[in-house]
Amino acid sequence: MLLIIPDRGSNFTSIGRTLNAGFFAYADGGFPPSETRRGRCNPGTRLEEETSMRKSALLICSALVAAASLARVGAASAEERTVYIDGFGAKSGVVRSLGINSEAAMRAAVDLINSQGGVKLADGATGKIKFEYYDDRCVAEEGISIVRRMAAGPTLIGVGPSCSNVTEPLYGILQKKVGDATDSGLQFPVFTDVAIKIGLAKISEWSFRNVPSETEMYTTMYKWVKDTHPELKTLYAGVEENFSHSRASWYAVQKDAAPAAGFDVKGVTKWLVDDTNFAQQVREIKAANPDVLAVVAHSFTTCGLLKEMDRQHVKVKMLIGLTSSAIQETLTNCGKVAEGITIPTSFALLTPEAKAANERVAKYNGTLDIHSAGTYEAMFILKKLIEDQGVLAKPDTVQADRVKIRNGLAALKTTDGLLGTVDRTSDREAVKPYLYIAAKDSKWVVMHDMIKTKQAAN
Amino acid sequence: MDFYYSLAQIIGFHTLLGLSAYVVLLTGQVSFAQGGFFAIGAYVAGMLTVISGWHVIPAMLAAGSIAALAACLVGFPALRVRGLMLVVATLAFGEAVRLFFFNFDYQVEKGGSKGGPLGGEGFRQIRWFPEHGWTTFEVMLLVLIVVGLVIGALWWIDRSRLGSVLRAVGEDELAAQSVGIDLTAVKVTAMTIGGFIAGVGGALYAHYTTYIEHTNFTVLLAVFAIAYPILGGLQSVFGTIVAVIFVQGILVEGLRFLGDWRSLLFGALIVLVMNLRPKGLIDGAAARRVARLLRREGRHA
Repeated sequence: MLLIIPDRGSNFTSIGRTLNAGFFAYADGGFPPSETRRGRCNPGTRLEEETSMRKSALLICSALVAAASLARVGAASAEERTVYIDGFGAKSGVVRSLGINSEAAMRAAVDLINSQGGVKLADGATGKIKFEYYDDRCVAEEGISIVRRMAAGPTLIGVGPSCSNVTEPLYGILQKKVGDATDSGLQFPVFTDVAIKIGLAKISEWSFRNVPSETEMYTTMYKWVKDTHPELKTLYAGVEENFSHSRASWYAVQKDAAPAAGFDVKGVTKWLVDDTNFAQQVREIKAANPDVLAVVAHSFTTCGLLKEMDRQHVKVKMLIGLTSSAIQETLTNCGKVAEGITIPTSFALLTPEAKAANERVAKYNGTLDIHSAGTYEAMFILKKLIEDQGVLAKPDTVQADRVKIRNGLAALKTTDGLLGTVDRTSDREAVKPYLYIAAKDSKWVVMHDMIKTKQAAN
Repeated sequence: MDFYYSLAQIIGFHTLLGLSAYVVLLTGQVSFAQGGFFAIGAYVAGMLTVISGWHVIPAMLAAGSIAALAACLVGFPALRVRGLMLVVATLAFGEAVRLFFFNFDYQVEKGGSKGGPLGGEGFRQIRWFPEHGWTTFEVMLLVLIVVGLVIGALWWIDRSRLGSVLRAVGEDELAAQSVGIDLTAVKVTAMTIGGFIAGVGGALYAHYTTYIEHTNFTVLLAVFAIAYPILGGLQSVFGTIVAVIFVQGILVEGLRFLGDWRSLLFGALIVLVMNLRPKGLIDGAAARRVARLLRREGRHA
């Protein structure tokens, strides 16, 4: 195709001609018609002029293209920016279900937020959350490495980890007090969703948790058991001794809560998180013949113990479980022998929000439970914080944005949870609404709704 | 860069753990006690900086010395047995140390809060580095200097009479004994050196993670300690560091993006490497090349 040039006077004609001169041959094999017409047939002069015009035309073209591109990029960036939030936890080993469910819950929450338009940033731009999840294998060094990797990049906050033995060292590498120039700890906010060991967030002012308060849950639960079953008098405990959360739950909470409610604690039997033989422990329970057995262990060994009790025909009048065992895994692995086990939990499929969230999480091959519900809620808490705290999510405001998020989290008094309002303490911990559930026919059913009880009391 | 500095620290103290087993392996002994010495170093150094307020370097040296003493004491009875018996004996020692710390409570009130080991709930707030304003880069430098010194010392030992004696015992105990080498003394010396190195490594580890508990020092750690020098090759001290970089740098960190597949590949790649390099990543020929290179560099200098 040949471009027809009516007038050399305009820039566009020059551009057009130059481009054509470069790419097309004229039909007659000579000079362009307009040039011939104006008698500019000196080959040397014409060549110089052509070259010069070609250069200027290319420059103008490039400038126009560049300007158009910049305008487009500018417009895009004014409308949409990426907000980096990363998650991490155990996706390998005995507690891998924690990481799998947490990742599914966070991905479901992020997708919902993004599909609803993302987050509003301080300058009016829209932020779309980009989410990655890392496996720390429940190993402290790996958890630390992951957080250092996040802190070295554009990530605004890390959500995780699953295991208390990763959470403690992780909080240890963070700066203890914000603004302490003598402390070279990492200045990066971490919002923990699963690791439930009591009182960890006080380690650093950059650490926050969205986990239930076991102290509150077990103190009221033992009282409720005593009130509803006054005939139960003696209690025996089985403790997963080498898992920091189980251990802390018994020694720091339940050991005092049970006698305070009026139970006579007859003794304690112990096992390890990777134990598979519980014969001796069950013999000890049988010898003690308690009314109530508190199984202070995670799902894996809880099932092991209950199966052994079934094998030895040992029965107690009531079973109380560790809050971390109030998950689907317990029912799947040992629903039959776990019949009746009663556990305080901060999550159940009670509200329409919880049910809808559970359906969304199921699409990511996970389930919503006491742990993963915390991660799901965390993403919406962060969305609100990003909007309220004036986060910009620009490459040069990463650290300032982290500080804003940290300050926002520290200032929170309450947050919205799937079961209702979650209170936040000055120690950066959560006090979540809770209820007591029990295993019935391999399903969790609500035994007592403390949320309604509290609402009625108020 | 902080992430890479942090990774270098991990590689550093894992190298020390591997080198502690390397010294013992030179004498032909397989010790699963290195995880125990590593734990002793971690707890002792942590207690010295947190409870007694020591500077980290003397604390580290003291931790190494106490771990060396423990290794020496363990060495005498344990090294009277050989082969699989020694494996069982040292494994039992490692577990005994772990269970000791599982039950060890020693908390002291300081500055309004309690610090020190608390049995199964662990030992938190070993924050000497951040509390003294050390940056990740500075901590990495310290770790690398310590690793460099240990590698240098072992390199020198390897070329000294002591190194020859260690290797002679490792190659053929009977022949070594027939030329007047005191087997027990040599083995206990190797065990003591290994204990010191593991103790120093443990001290650095405790201050890196800021929190330790008995589950950090399980038999898996002892397996890694042995695996590093075997995977790297016993011909050169550099084999261990190459193996640690391979495991911690490539398999653990480098493959993290693979998600669930990482753990599967982890084992498969180690098996593959052991098949391709049965005498270790740095075998005899590679070790000679490294030695020639170092000599050439030395002459240029």
